[in-house]
Amino acid sequence: MAESVELEVKGLNFHYAGNIHALKNINLTVYKNTVTALIGPSGCGKTTLLRCFNRMHDLYPKNRYEGEIWFQQQDILDKGTDLIQLRSRIGMVFQKPTPFPMSIFDNIAYGLKLKGIKKRAELSEKVEKALHHAALWDEVKDKLNASAYQLSGGQQQRLVIARALAVNPEVLLFDEPTSALDPISTAKIEELAETLKKEVTIVIVTHNMQQAARISDRTGFLMLGELIEYGKTDKIFTAPSEKLTEDYVTGRFG
Amino acid sequence: MTREQWRKTEGFLALLLSTLAALLGLFWLVFILGDVLVHGVKALNAGLFMNDPAPAGVEGGGLRNAFVGQLLITVCATFIGVPVGVLGGTFLAEYARGRKIARIISILADIMVSVPSIVIGTFIYAILVRPVGHFSGWAGAVALSIIMIPVVLRTTEDMLSLVPWTLREAAFALGAPYYKVITQVVYRGAATGILTGILLSIARVAGETAPLLFTSFNNTFFAVNMKQPVASLTVTIFQYAMGPYDNWHEQAWAAAFVITIFILLLTVTGRLIIKWRYK
Repeated sequence: MAESVELEVKGLNFHYAGNIHALKNINLTVYKNTVTALIGPSGCGKTTLLRCFNRMHDLYPKNRYEGEIWFQQQDILDKGTDLIQLRSRIGMVFQKPTPFPMSIFDNIAYGLKLKGIKKRAELSEKVEKALHHAALWDEVKDKLNASAYQLSGGQQQRLVIARALAVNPEVLLFDEPTSALDPISTAKIEELAETLKKEVTIVIVTHNMQQAARISDRTGFLMLGELIEYGKTDKIFTAPSEKLTEDYVTGRFG
Repeated sequence: MTREQWRKTEGFLALLLSTLAALLGLFWLVFILGDVLVHGVKALNAGLFMNDPAPAGVEGGGLRNAFVGQLLITVCATFIGVPVGVLGGTFLAEYARGRKIARIISILADIMVSVPSIVIGTFIYAILVRPVGHFSGWAGAVALSIIMIPVVLRTTEDMLSLVPWTLREAAFALGAPYYKVITQVVYRGAATGILTGILLSIARVAGETAPLLFTSFNNTFFAVNMKQPVASLTVTIFQYAMGPYDNWHEQAWAAAFVITIFILLLTVTGRLIIKWRYK
């Protein structure tokens, strides 16, 4: 089966304010409807790379991108990119659950309302669909008007995933989504990632190598801002071509 | 004495002194509140709220004009001061976050909080009373709002800063523009804190006399025209307490009682909101 390209990173360099060269000449292709994992030791730039995809770095002054990231026919690093539109097409889930201080229903409806959907019936339908999608519906269907803060950490994380899914993104970025969760919640999120890839392309940053091995189709290994190796997950974990990759995935450092 | 005995004695002395200091402070507070309560309740009657002042020296009459005037001035001050304070605080915590200008304004606001209120009164006198030629309710409201603004501004800034950044990032990541992130997500997270700040700032200005003395002054007639001098409880208390008539003194006590209770209620509500929020 021929895979189509979703995101293509070409010669990406990224500098944080104060001229910290965080990403060095990254070239990487993310394929549609796959899970791509980014692994590497702390501070290697994997989260920095992830946050380039939805231009999160633009929130802070003096960060600088060089190079290109092609998302379909568009270079998203282009100055003219509409960030609001970009972010509604490329969603993000953070390390710690980030429910908004409002009800479960309103949390999911938030993104929909941003898109201009106002009709209650349509909102209800889409909220329910998103919650089903994130495998949370059965647990919250009787308390949609309760505060989202009442949910457990794992439920909150699935709520946030539902919120991101509700606006129908094409890509979903996960920034260590399970590092604050217990093993059972983690398993649920991993399961979710595998079912979701039928509809969205997933890029996930993880510290947990077993997680990368379990759920991803491709893995990129970064170190000190460089992409050391990138390829099919099986190969990265069983027969890496770089010595550094092998040392890392076998737990010799990091 | 051994060292250990010394240590115990010192500990006991520290405890004794701090307890005495606390009791002394508490004593005056209870004394004042008790005094106001005893004298105030005695002078309270329905006529106080229904009637306007009787001519000087004549028995009877009430303080309807002052109650209504106080309310009017306070409400107007709130409507001027709260939006400016909240929006200013929003600017500091959001748009100017981390910039030098934010720190400068913050420090200036802190200084403003401790400027003697009579200075603000005379300032408003110079810009809003002198040029117009007469005292007015609006001048009073503006003077009070100027006292409110730095309080509301700093509280808003602090409360917004307490909302974690990840929450804002999450809203941005959904494609929200900044003003929607602020109004729909950040304000919600900080709502109780900001509300408390507003209540406490109202309580702060409701008891001010000096700024009103120079601005809205007083009016023995019932007046709701803010372009005219408007009576207020605090200025009335000042005049009546200094006046020669016994019934003035009684009414001053009653007015003092009412305004004390009002401020007490505002403060307690503010505290309750904080407690409820952090539970």
